[in-house]
Amino acid sequence: MKITRREFIKSQAAVVAAATAGVTLPVSITAVAAEGDEGVRWDKAPCRFCGTGCSVLVGVKDDKVVASQGDPDAPVNRGLNCIKGYFLPKIMYGKDRLIQPLLRKKNGRFAKDGDFEPVSWDEAFDVMAAKWKEAIAKDLKDNAGKPVDQLTSRVAMFGSGQWAVWEGYAASKLMKGGLRSNNLDPNARHCMASAVVAFIRAFGIDEPMGCYDDLEHADAFVLWGANMAEMHPILWSRLTDTRLTKPGCEVHVLSTFENRCFELADNPIVFTPHTDLVILNYIANHIIRNKAYNQAFIDRHVNFTKTPTDIGYGLRPEHPLERKAANAGKGKLTKIGFEEYAESVAPYTLDKAHEMSGVPKERLERLAKLYADPNKKIASYWTMGFNQHTRGVWVNGLLYNVHLLMGKLSEPGNSPFSLTGQPSACGTAREVGTFVHRLPADLVVKKPEHRAFSERVWQLPAGTINGKVGYHAVLMQRMLKDGKLNCYWQLCNNNMQAGPNINEEMYPGWRNPDNFITVSDPYPTVSAQAADLVLPTAMWVEKEGAYGNAERRTQFWREQVAAPGEAKSDLWQIMEFAKRFKAEEVWPQELVDKKPEYRGKTLYDILFANGTVDKFPYAGKILDDRGNAYQNHESAHFGYYVQKGLFEEYRRFNSAPDIPKKGHEMAPFDTYHKVRGQRWPVIDGKETLWRFRGGYDPHVAGDQTTVDFYGNPDGRANIIFAPYEPPAESPDQEYDLWLCTGRVLEHWHSGSMTRRVPELYRAVPDAVLFMHKKDARKRKLRDGQLAKITTPRGELTARVETRGRNRPPEGLVFIPWFDASRLVNKLILDATDPLSKQTDYKKNICKVVKV
Amino acid sequence: MNICSLVVQTRPDRAQAVEQRLLALPGVEIHGGRAEGKLIVTVEDTGRSEVADTLASIKGVEGVINTVLIYHYGGDDLEAV
Repeated sequence: MKITRREFIKSQAAVVAAATAGVTLPVSITAVAAEGDEGVRWDKAPCRFCGTGCSVLVGVKDDKVVASQGDPDAPVNRGLNCIKGYFLPKIMYGKDRLIQPLLRKKNGRFAKDGDFEPVSWDEAFDVMAAKWKEAIAKDLKDNAGKPVDQLTSRVAMFGSGQWAVWEGYAASKLMKGGLRSNNLDPNARHCMASAVVAFIRAFGIDEPMGCYDDLEHADAFVLWGANMAEMHPILWSRLTDTRLTKPGCEVHVLSTFENRCFELADNPIVFTPHTDLVILNYIANHIIRNKAYNQAFIDRHVNFTKTPTDIGYGLRPEHPLERKAANAGKGKLTKIGFEEYAESVAPYTLDKAHEMSGVPKERLERLAKLYADPNKKIASYWTMGFNQHTRGVWVNGLLYNVHLLMGKLSEPGNSPFSLTGQPSACGTAREVGTFVHRLPADLVVKKPEHRAFSERVWQLPAGTINGKVGYHAVLMQRMLKDGKLNCYWQLCNNNMQAGPNINEEMYPGWRNPDNFITVSDPYPTVSAQAADLVLPTAMWVEKEGAYGNAERRTQFWREQVAAPGEAKSDLWQIMEFAKRFKAEEVWPQELVDKKPEYRGKTLYDILFANGTVDKFPYAGKILDDRGNAYQNHESAHFGYYVQKGLFEEYRRFNSAPDIPKKGHEMAPFDTYHKVRGQRWPVIDGKETLWRFRGGYDPHVAGDQTTVDFYGNPDGRANIIFAPYEPPAESPDQEYDLWLCTGRVLEHWHSGSMTRRVPELYRAVPDAVLFMHKKDARKRKLRDGQLAKITTPRGELTARVETRGRNRPPEGLVFIPWFDASRLVNKLILDATDPLSKQTDYKKNICKVVKV
Repeated sequence: MNICSLVVQTRPDRAQAVEQRLLALPGVEIHGGRAEGKLIVTVEDTGRSEVADTLASIKGVEGVINTVLIYHYGGDDLEAV
């Protein structure tokens, strides 16, 4: 039978769907599909978007991705896709892809006020390196004679939780090992910094103890400021399956407005913004008053502590709120006893919780009773509602308090779990440690022994790594504006749309004539347009990569197609840029003298052609087990298997016998190209599903009754009391509404990729203003009419939506931030959690009028 | 050129009626799954409608509980064959 290619593709599509659903199809269809499609090469890759880490199969023909499907062999998504993943390959084929470097020029030379002109990579890096050297020369003067833990730096890199693991690792080496600057922070600062600090404070080690298997093991689910139905749809479908098939299973949903998750909620809870602090202390109080806590567990595994209060809002020090704060930025824990802890939560009664949160008492009580029931296994999930919070570290900790009081963690089904928003916020930003205070594998720049270990692995002279914490994401913008930071390189994110207080704190710094701004991106985003130099970037499967998802799963992919034009991966860009600096141009004489053999060498020679990174030969192509061949442009260019060399050197930090912090062990490079990811710690080829408990975690001896929180020296986790403190601003007579910003299912973050997919653009073209009917009526606004939203920082217009997927209560409005034509984050105050430095995008004030 | 497949969940006793409603949409074919209440559906671009619009309509069809997207082909090589 002669069939057309169209019929063949259709049969294949049907067969794949049937296999995923467990449906048997007629033989005639499967026979057609079984003939095989000679033209298409299939391989796995993790999705480019959220932190879930779904695997997709990518079909390539003639160096173009022509097809994709959910990966049926992937434990995370089991063949399913969300709408973004469905159209994933199309993100690479937007009509306005950047294909050559662009520099602002006038009369043939760089000019800050010039127009963008195409330039060669050589010219781009020549101009950029000259600017960086100028700034570094000033640093060398400023830092002369200073001890290594007091060095300042005028250069910065702003990276990404979407970087491949080795891109973050190479960036950390260049900035911290080469340029001696700790001004390296990821956009993940806006995303999960509060979760990280809370992990470290409670458990002494980052990332969740549980995993996605808890979605099937739990008896009940509680969402704390996580709209999983839209932001983590595949995990939501697994949760839904459990809710609908397990008898007695219940779902509690907490949010400051109704969202799509409320359709499945057995206990729907809309609370007054910021009173999650009150509700959690009430639950702890309920557990204690009813003596429901797990006495044996807290006796053996828990310390009681409290945290300093009145800590300010992470604003500029001269801001009135900071001047007023007694303990601005302080977080050192003080040990207390159980009695003092019990007294501290005692004022958080049901009455008080009801009054402050506005939640009906029976709903609060139902929630508290659920946590207090020793026979219910509970998985708690949170994302930006908890993390983008001026008391985000506190509120994360208050939830751990509840789980720790009951001993409900580190076992199947009992799981406090921080969901992440980016594909490698965990794998790259956190595990590699591309933050201003971190080094790989949970090491920190402040500890001399951690710096010394890193210098040994990187073969650097002792005393190279700067011990002073650099400028974090929000501070970088303030320092650019103040002229203390002069060179800024942003890669793999769109901070001019994502960051807070754009008009007052960000844009002025970028256009400050003293500063040189570089943006690497595949598309002309808002950030690219505000830069001086734009570098075209290879994206997703245009390079070999590795991501780490929210459940500690490390996943690799191979390069599937070539990048268009002259676009190059961030890895290539970072390594090539390193060639522009000689040791003696960036290090003081006395440091070079410690390793005289480095004199005259470039940072590329020292950091990458160092005998370790360039150890693995590249044979001109990468082969898989099935005999398929793939290109690898970085390896072809540098002459060795770059990704493998970088990953194996990185493993010196997390898997060698002499490492300072155990618990992050990973498998050898080649393993990850064969498996659908593995969850660390990986020891002897075996992954770890639940940490800190015997029988599951290889670091804990004994059976499943043995718990050891080995991240802390005494093996105990910290319960940390923190009270309610008000947000930075609350509605008043003039600005009478809460303003909350966030995301939608169809678009990912700033929309620079998804808005270029026609199907997704058509589905949700513009950001709208979600508000309550009565609030709209009061302002004489009807659905679809244009409203002006004003905050003390600025204004914008959007159409009103009172019947859509989000249903705010009276007094609160919600606007998504994906829409580049409505930069809603210019309305947001740059108030952060003083401990995590993460911005609160959820609690600003605004007024709304009809246009 | 787009060809997509999806699983449309419905109650088995209503599957036949849902199938008739879906077939009225442009570019839709159904390949099986009636007994399980999981209809195996493919959608392709037609002259009068694009896949994205058809997918959006399917969610609103009476009797459809849920739709799960599985496969997407977006190559431009089909017309030539």
